[in-house]
Amino acid sequence: MKRNKGVKLVLALAVLASLLAGCGGNNGNNGNKGESETPAEQTGANSSNGDEAGSKSFANPQLEVAVFQGGYGREYWDAVAESFMQDHPGTKINITASPKIGDLVRPKIVAGNPPDFMYIAGGDNTPVLNGLIKDNALLDLTDVFTEAGEDGAALKDKILPGILESPAIAPHGDGKIYLAPYNFGVMGLWYNKALFDAKSLASPKTWDEFFAMNGAAKENGRALFTYQGMYPGYLEEIIVPAIYNVGGQEALDQFFNYDPEFWKSDTFKQAFGILERIASEENALMKGTVALNHTQSQTEFLQGKAMFIPNGSWFEDEMKDAPREDGFQYGFLGVPSLDPAKPVTALTSVEQMVIPAKAKNPELAKAFLKYLYTEKSITLNGEKAKGVLAVKGAPDLVKAYLGDTTYNVYKAVDSGMGTVNGTFKIVAKGSKYIPADEVYKPLSSIINKQMTLDEYAEKLYKIYADIQEELKASAE
Amino acid sequence: MTMKRRRAVFIAACLLPGLLLFALFKIYPTVQVFHKSFYQWNGIGDKPVFIGLDNFVEMFQDDTFLLALRNTGFLMLIVPIVTIAIALINASILTRSKLKEKSLYRTVFFFPSILSFVVIAILWSFIYHPTIGFLNSGLEFIGLGEYAMSWLGDQRTVLWALAVTLIWQAAGYYMVMYMAGIDGISPDFYEAASLDGATRLQQFMYITVPMLWEIIRITIIFSINGVLSISFVVVSIMTAGGPDRHSEVALTYLYAQAFTNSNFGYAMAMALFIFVISMLLAFLSNRMTGKEAN
Repeated sequence: MKRNKGVKLVLALAVLASLLAGCGGNNGNNGNKGESETPAEQTGANSSNGDEAGSKSFANPQLEVAVFQGGYGREYWDAVAESFMQDHPGTKINITASPKIGDLVRPKIVAGNPPDFMYIAGGDNTPVLNGLIKDNALLDLTDVFTEAGEDGAALKDKILPGILESPAIAPHGDGKIYLAPYNFGVMGLWYNKALFDAKSLASPKTWDEFFAMNGAAKENGRALFTYQGMYPGYLEEIIVPAIYNVGGQEALDQFFNYDPEFWKSDTFKQAFGILERIASEENALMKGTVALNHTQSQTEFLQGKAMFIPNGSWFEDEMKDAPREDGFQYGFLGVPSLDPAKPVTALTSVEQMVIPAKAKNPELAKAFLKYLYTEKSITLNGEKAKGVLAVKGAPDLVKAYLGDTTYNVYKAVDSGMGTVNGTFKIVAKGSKYIPADEVYKPLSSIINKQMTLDEYAEKLYKIYADIQEELKASAE
Repeated sequence: MTMKRRRAVFIAACLLPGLLLFALFKIYPTVQVFHKSFYQWNGIGDKPVFIGLDNFVEMFQDDTFLLALRNTGFLMLIVPIVTIAIALINASILTRSKLKEKSLYRTVFFFPSILSFVVIAILWSFIYHPTIGFLNSGLEFIGLGEYAMSWLGDQRTVLWALAVTLIWQAAGYYMVMYMAGIDGISPDFYEAASLDGATRLQQFMYITVPMLWEIIRITIIFSINGVLSISFVVVSIMTAGGPDRHSEVALTYLYAQAFTNSNFGYAMAMALFIFVISMLLAFLSNRMTGKEAN
């Protein structure tokens, strides 16, 4: 009897042990392989031709870098890391790249062992960033941008104006920088330039001119406007510039920082009135828009079913394989103005890089971050990632690597077109509200004429008041 | 005795890996879900804070959650009933009639079951496509163009459109189960019934359905649970919960709370609630159908 129990137990333990060993062993191997193989090669190459010039030594020469591998790929990160290691001999950068980088770093962060440096983007991954912001688990990077660099100028003067003050970079509203800007994107309305040239149409500067083009749209057998119906969040590319246009930064702050009174303001009525007008004017909205996802609606636009569509500077690359009408040429217009005295404006966005507060090697991480803003790195980024860093003059540095269209979009913003950016302030921890969803999702109902602007305003007033209350409660 | 013992040990050793994996990947996470539902936790770096039942209280004041629950309820009611009705009728026609192309139909109807849910969702989002879609073009072709609409873009039709997709996906699968069941019913019953002058319909009602009842009971539960999980995939791809959340289902909202809003505690509370509801539904339908069978 006893002996049998013993056998059972031994067997059970053996199976358990073999299982766990199997799991653990595999995981360990995979993890190490991904992270160490390439850098090992790189350091090897490095030590042979490394020179001491101009580099200080770091107490801890190891840097763990985790990057999002999305539309920009991972080649830039490999290249810039190699270049950094050459300029700083003895350092060793390990890069982990994945489209699901959020899932990869999440367990490490939970275990209190985050990477030293992270570039996190893409809808699946950014919640990790939001969580870190809510937790105050990011390193304050303000000094990286304020202290004078080797040429005497502070880094902050090189960054595009307005970026460092935006909540995407300084999320707590106290001017302290916790997220460093990486690639910079421009969003607004797009049109078919070939069509406009052939029919000698001028791109609209105001919303009145925009709606006046409905006749021309009809003549050319298309609707005036379409958007990525299933994802009404794309409408921010119109709404945010419109709010800024009418009410200035003050109204925009109300909107992004949850002042309920915003929903009673005239700014709200004018800015969101654009959507009501699109919904009610004949031929203004392409039939069936609300049911289409982003690729479907963008394909319809390329095929000449609609005259305008909102999208970002990634448009050309995103749709490179999609069918289109003959002679189609991308034209970027920005967002028309409601006030004729004000310029056409484009919405800008910036991707974020962070150093976790619990990073083991913050010193080297900061040095690496600074290095990313050097001319060498900006050029590499253009060459390998076709990206444009949010640095003054960056579009010209990387002109050779960008498509004409994309370059022109960036150039337009660099010269004259107004820009605006902003993100919703982070809501209180544990809040059920996802601000962008609360604000943009009901727009489908307005477009479908199943909700009026007044009902919408009333709904959002309550939500904003709620969010404010939660924020107050959590601050106490 | 020793033989018996050794047998037991051998069986245990065979079961152990499976049980262990089951415990590790099913039971442990479920327990964690229950546990974390009483905490405020963002699933990333912070220490979970115990907040008692706050998540549950919040849940019932959350309009979006209630709407999602209502939508899920609608699908859980409509889809199993229609799916099972269609599956039963098709199964009975295919087995009881002398159709030559029987096996062809069987294959065709079963076909959706071997497609992945993602493929089905993409397929149907093109069937419903407002301009180039098969449905609207078809309506226009037969002169009913005025009824063409953007099925997934209108809050009045979106849930029905999704329900049709879910029914299409599942009906063939249950049909094959029922056909196997019907094949097991002795043909004598049908012969006797037809000699006594019972119509096809009466044979269906009084022979097929009662004889299949045990299978039907199980498939009802399968179907209810299937709707719960498949609706997540279908909604994510076909509508993203739109327009204006009129097709949001419990699991898509749960997912958004957990992974977009980093509000894991709250999401786990929803998960617990949905778990309880589906257990309850399974139990209830078992009880109700069980009594009727007696």
